[in-house]
Amino acid sequence: MSELRKLTFGYLGLLALLALTVGSSFVALGGFNVALNLAIAAAKAILIAMLFMHLTGTLPRLAVAAAGLWLVILFGLTLIGR
Amino acid sequence: MSGTESVAFDTPQRERRADTFAMWVFIGSEAMLFGAIFLVFLVAHIDFGPAFAAASKRLSLPLGTLNTAVLITSSFTMALAHMLALHRRWRPTIWALVATAALGVCFLIVKGIEYGKEISEGLAPLLGLPFRYAGPDPVHAEFFFGLYFTMTSLHALHLIGGIVVIAGMIALWRPSGPANRLRRVVAVGLYWHFVDIIWVFMFPVLYLINR
Amino acid sequence: MTNAAMQGTYLGQGSGLRAWLLSTDHKRVAWLYLISLTAFFFLGGAMAVLMRIELATPAGDLVSDDVYNRLFSLHGIIMVWFFLVPSIPATMGNFLLPLMIGARDLAFPRLNLASWYVFIFGSLFALFAVVAGGVDTGWTFYTPLSTLYANGFVSTAAFGVFVVGFSTIMTGINFIVTVHTLRAPGLTWFRLPIFVWTLYATSLVMVLATPVLAASLILIVLERVFGIGIFNPDLGGDPLLFQHLFWFYSHPAVYIMILPGMGVVSEVLPCFSRRPLFGYKAVAMSSMAIAVFGFLVWGHHMFVSGQSAYAGVVFSFLSFCVAIPSAIKVFNWSLTLRKGEISFETPMLYALFFLGLFTFGGLAGLFLAALAVDVHVHDTYFVIAHFHYIMVGGMVTAYMAGLHFWWSKLTGRMYSETAGRIAATVTFVGFNLTFFPQYMLGFNGMPRRYHTYPPEFQFWNVLSSAGAVVLAIGYLMPLFYLGWSLFRGARAPDNPWNATGLEWQTSSPPPPHNFETMPVVTRPAYAYDMKGLEHERFSPHREEAAR
Repeated sequence: MSELRKLTFGYLGLLALLALTVGSSFVALGGFNVALNLAIAAAKAILIAMLFMHLTGTLPRLAVAAAGLWLVILFGLTLIGR
Repeated sequence: MSGTESVAFDTPQRERRADTFAMWVFIGSEAMLFGAIFLVFLVAHIDFGPAFAAASKRLSLPLGTLNTAVLITSSFTMALAHMLALHRRWRPTIWALVATAALGVCFLIVKGIEYGKEISEGLAPLLGLPFRYAGPDPVHAEFFFGLYFTMTSLHALHLIGGIVVIAGMIALWRPSGPANRLRRVVAVGLYWHFVDIIWVFMFPVLYLINR
Repeated sequence: MTNAAMQGTYLGQGSGLRAWLLSTDHKRVAWLYLISLTAFFFLGGAMAVLMRIELATPAGDLVSDDVYNRLFSLHGIIMVWFFLVPSIPATMGNFLLPLMIGARDLAFPRLNLASWYVFIFGSLFALFAVVAGGVDTGWTFYTPLSTLYANGFVSTAAFGVFVVGFSTIMTGINFIVTVHTLRAPGLTWFRLPIFVWTLYATSLVMVLATPVLAASLILIVLERVFGIGIFNPDLGGDPLLFQHLFWFYSHPAVYIMILPGMGVVSEVLPCFSRRPLFGYKAVAMSSMAIAVFGFLVWGHHMFVSGQSAYAGVVFSFLSFCVAIPSAIKVFNWSLTLRKGEISFETPMLYALFFLGLFTFGGLAGLFLAALAVDVHVHDTYFVIAHFHYIMVGGMVTAYMAGLHFWWSKLTGRMYSETAGRIAATVTFVGFNLTFFPQYMLGFNGMPRRYHTYPPEFQFWNVLSSAGAVVLAIGYLMPLFYLGWSLFRGARAPDNPWNATGLEWQTSSPPPPHNFETMPVVTRPAYAYDMKGLEHERFSPHREEAAR
């Protein structure tokens, strides 16, 4: 079953990313530690969404895009005042 | 109606599409909830970065990492359940669901151990418990631990909800027909993966950032 | 109500308590909401009347300052979360959305019923807070007052609002999915009635904004119950952050309240002027624009809160922008009336009053969006008058318009037209008498939330209190003549207003699954200009009615 293989690769990829993110925290990269950790978290989220959650079709993507846009509004307009 | 749960739909396929969409809308809504909490953390982090970094070092990285792995594994078994349900292999589906819920319980146990450790070390500023923190800037370290307990317990509540729903689904397994089984596995799966994604962000934000 | 004539309609499907409380039929759930919301409306209204009586004299003679604080707090909490937010969506929206799009029910009927139970469960907490001693934080729960200083039942009330938020989100998800997946064949997006568009836009706001309110309320409860000081400045917490989160929800919530009202008016105005809605696409799109822009302006509640001047300027600019889609709507409604054959039935009266009151209140909003003017009138009665013109003059008036417009569909009965017109007019007079003086008071500097005031403000306050009595009569009248019509009203035809829209093509009241034959749509909404409309119309019940 190729589906099973896909899921297994996804799973192993997630564990690898976990190792990477934990490992990176022991290396001092200055401000890049934060960026790297968040980028890895985003990569993991995308892996989960695409492989495990089957994020396909217009409507589910619409829902995700809307939430993303609204999060940008929430964060952006709260932080401009600071 | 033939095999649909709601009178509104004429075919199970249309109903499943609507279900999936509804779950995604719900996930979008949940994302706003956690987004707001993350925003609170971010604002505090901007203001008190060094104090937060020092306090963050007192959390247990090994247990946090273990828990992340546990939760990722539970997502994997949930994805397996989905795949198996699509092929109508119901018995293995149940086992995959049981494994998912069991891993969820594992996560909660580890989290409980962590909480116990933090409370005994005097790092839990809750319910008037003594807060004994030796590092610099204890006031803002207390703030960090307040946020830590808020965020992780909110996440744990979502996980408990997921476990309860999986348990209920298994309890009602026999009377529900194949169409309903698949719909429920898909819907619960989406929720479970979302709770996993939240943890995927919470873990670096709480345990790793500025170590 | 159950008699021979109701056989075969949704009202004939059992009349016991069980048949109502456990039915997942969206039409019955709508009634559950209608009854509970009416109770909350009059409870909140009674508190307003008490406040207005207190304010008839400058001295604090009827209630103490503490009781007054609790009155206005609970008036706000009840009116906002237990009446206005669910008002049109949960009652008329629930009843009509499936009918308007030609569906048998909402996508998730059980979720719909569950939302009502969640609503009741949450509102019981709020009622408990009222009975146990009240809340004195104002409906806004501002920190650190609500977390460190208030001694009322803040956690109870906040938790109640939090729970009701779930019910709002359930309704929102249900509506969004229903509009996307259950439209009848031929019913494209740009053939949807504007009411459906506005419910869709409202649901979007409900789903995306309510969780942020939930987050801020959770944090307040955690702070009060568990002692976690998220907003406590002593711990480095930021009380202002609460205002950001709160208004991220609560400003868009204003559009949750007003958008469905705009939808109702967009149905009523074309019907009673026998003209298609002018600029249909612009009205539809402006609803979506309001839903989005509504999220960009929350900082105008915080101009004097200490947020940076830069943020103030940005929010001020964006607040002016949100006036544009509202203005588009007002102009299009006005042009719909142009050269129409206007008749003044009760729903139309209410809709026209909406048009005037909403515009008047909206224009005052421009004053408040202007940074410098807002500093002068912030937290005065000017603000009170502004948002009551929108929320009461706009939203409640539209609610009444819709209730009268679709009453025959809900009940199968007609109410007394004379009584309806009198009530509408009394409401309009009473409303303006109550709230116009408050503009004057606010502009002259009377602050909100005080139970006493200097004697020079008494003239306008007496007018306002007298108006509140007239307004109360205007709102009590429908309770009687609509209630009377339930039992004695004339039997309503399927389409008494000769209106377009799928909901008028089924019987009054509709059968359990809405349509005997599932409809197919072949024309745009509001086709009032098409020749021979009524002869072509799809009506499975016409023969039955003729017999």
